[in-house]
Amino acid sequence: MSHAHGMSTDRLRISGAFGELDVDRRDIIRFPDGLPGFERSRAFVLLTSEANAPLQYLHAVEGPPASFLAIDPKLVLENYRCELSEADRQRLGAHGGDALLWLALVMVEADGAITVNLRAPLVINPQGMVGHQMMPHQCLYPLRHVLTPAP
Amino acid sequence: MLVFTRRRGETIMIGDGIEVRVLRSGRDGVRLGIVAPMHVPVHRQEVYEQIRQANRSAAEAPGALTTLAERLRGSTEVRVDAPKQTPRLHTATARKRS
Repeated sequence: MSHAHGMSTDRLRISGAFGELDVDRRDIIRFPDGLPGFERSRAFVLLTSEANAPLQYLHAVEGPPASFLAIDPKLVLENYRCELSEADRQRLGAHGGDALLWLALVMVEADGAITVNLRAPLVINPQGMVGHQMMPHQCLYPLRHVLTPAP
Repeated sequence: MLVFTRRRGETIMIGDGIEVRVLRSGRDGVRLGIVAPMHVPVHRQEVYEQIRQANRSAAEAPGALTTLAERLRGSTEVRVDAPKQTPRLHTATARKRS
């Protein structure tokens, strides 16, 4: 608990790639299972800004320091679509009609290429502010889809 | 490690909710059927490991945020003009401290 310390009960100060910010605790998204490799990171805030579009910034506010850049997979593939399993719906507390937020994590490869993980997207249910990284058994999308080749 | 010998059609129980059944076994592999409660994720180990590796590499990216955003805005692979995703969560930079 060194990278996020409370100021008051409803605000949280964070420091990361977006600079130093105060965020509202109501904006915290719970990931009950964490993410593979970051199993103890179970609470995040998602930050967006015009300056850093189309990237969004996911910052852990619990557990060891962890942060990620993410992009709406539909900005990458217009018809991107992954089926949620019944188990995924239960994890998210999502019912049929709920609008869900999809994010794909962005990586920089050793050669400098920018890639995006379309295989295992993050899905967030804004109703309950709960998220989960999907690991679909049947998925046509690549783990490292190239967005820009090496410079 | 516990080691069992099982024949085709035989099952191993793990706790009271998880069953692992040998469906078929042959020269190049064993086909298993798994029954587990909804909240227990079941994955091929190598798939989980690949995703873990990808996540580790994704955690390195924020250091280059500004450069990456610029490069992506210039990329033909990203439709920056696409409609904004709904629902949107808050924009915390609006509250950025001076």
